[in-house]
Amino acid sequence: KLTYFDGRGRGEVARQLFHLSGVPFEDNRIPMAEWPAHKASMPFGKMPLLEVNGKPLPQSYAIFRYLAREFGFVGDSPFAAAWVDAVADQFKDYFDEIKSLLFVHFGFAQGDKEKMMKDVAIPARDKFFPMLEKIAKDNHNNGHFVGASLTWVDLLIAEHVSVLLKYMPGFLNDYPTVLSTVKKINSIPKLKEWIDKRPDSTF
Amino acid sequence: NVVNVKISILIISFPNSLHPSIFSAMPAYKLYYFDIRGRGEVVRQVLALAGVEFEDIRLPRPSDGPQWAEFKSKTSFGQMPVLEIDGKQIPQAFAIVRFIASQHGLAGATPFEAAWVDAIADQWKDFHTEFSKYLFVKLGFREGNEDLLKAEHGFPSRDNFFPLIEQQLQETGSGFLVGDSVTWVDLLIAEAVQVIASAEPGFLDAFPEVLKHEQKIHSISRIKKWIESRPDQKR
Repeated sequence: KLTYFDGRGRGEVARQLFHLSGVPFEDNRIPMAEWPAHKASMPFGKMPLLEVNGKPLPQSYAIFRYLAREFGFVGDSPFAAAWVDAVADQFKDYFDEIKSLLFVHFGFAQGDKEKMMKDVAIPARDKFFPMLEKIAKDNHNNGHFVGASLTWVDLLIAEHVSVLLKYMPGFLNDYPTVLSTVKKINSIPKLKEWIDKRPDSTF
Repeated sequence: NVVNVKISILIISFPNSLHPSIFSAMPAYKLYYFDIRGRGEVVRQVLALAGVEFEDIRLPRPSDGPQWAEFKSKTSFGQMPVLEIDGKQIPQAFAIVRFIASQHGLAGATPFEAAWVDAIADQWKDFHTEFSKYLFVKLGFREGNEDLLKAEHGFPSRDNFFPLIEQQLQETGSGFLVGDSVTWVDLLIAEAVQVIASAEPGFLDAFPEVLKHEQKIHSISRIKKWIESRPDQKR
């Protein structure tokens, strides 16, 4: 059972892993207004929360890695799995820098979008995306960021890039390999099927 | 033995340089980091606990030498720590630690326990991002208003995070954070506790299990030996 807000946010990769593997799960979506009542029952006071036969597991990346390991999306060797982890953690550092602008786009916070684009988003992008572009190129532009098969970091990055394309078109024009990798990931049939039918949300 | 003695002498006399590769008995693992504890210490401790021989390469700060700038251009993310295994790099401290720990029974006894190790580590990372805004000023690495930062970032982050760790230790009852044997997140938390408690004695006194845990982890024989042999640094 996956418990998260009624949006993609920090829960979506877990949902995608379930849909890709065909393993059924309870997609428990908590409306914003009901969240305070649930907070105290969460081990770390946050969502997403995964429950496996009733046993709770918090923290999004721990959840993603656990499901990816169970379902075969963790990388095809320990070394590849380490690189999946490394790219994900490097992405997390970048996301922490850009999220303040995204939260304004999502309607969670007030802010001057143009100023934040210049002061926050562009510097964050210019630190991270050249490295990611090179990683995708060095991986032979094969449609994955690490190795030759789908991993959870592919899903993590593809979801984020889709958000950027929606709210900040052109923002990643200098990173064509990243864009083509994301396009290939999003066309994987089982993933595309979920993307087409999932509930809409701003975040 | 003669070869090993020569290697030991070289390690002592060139603490901050890269070793020539003609010594074929050199370990396959090279860890690159600055000459501080910081994000590299948990990696060093996991390697020490696992009994893995490694070259503990400590690069001088950019202001003290060109080695970091040279090495940086050879890394994917422009950061350290980096573990190099037979020439292949792995960046990002937690990725490195999980890679080593998983191969040596230090990452949790089951996949679910491994996930809890990851969850506690990521929760610590969230704590550290906030807390370091105060800690780095307290330790003198940055300028800032210590009292204001303590009120805005130090106390709140401590009081969000350490009750969770205290409760986790009460629940496992084993003296370890996950399951009943040591994992890499025990090393991560014990290291953080030691840095904080020596920077500010009494700061964690409301968390007796946390303080006991630090003592227990740091008395594990291989960790104790490592701590005794490492340079004496505040963090």
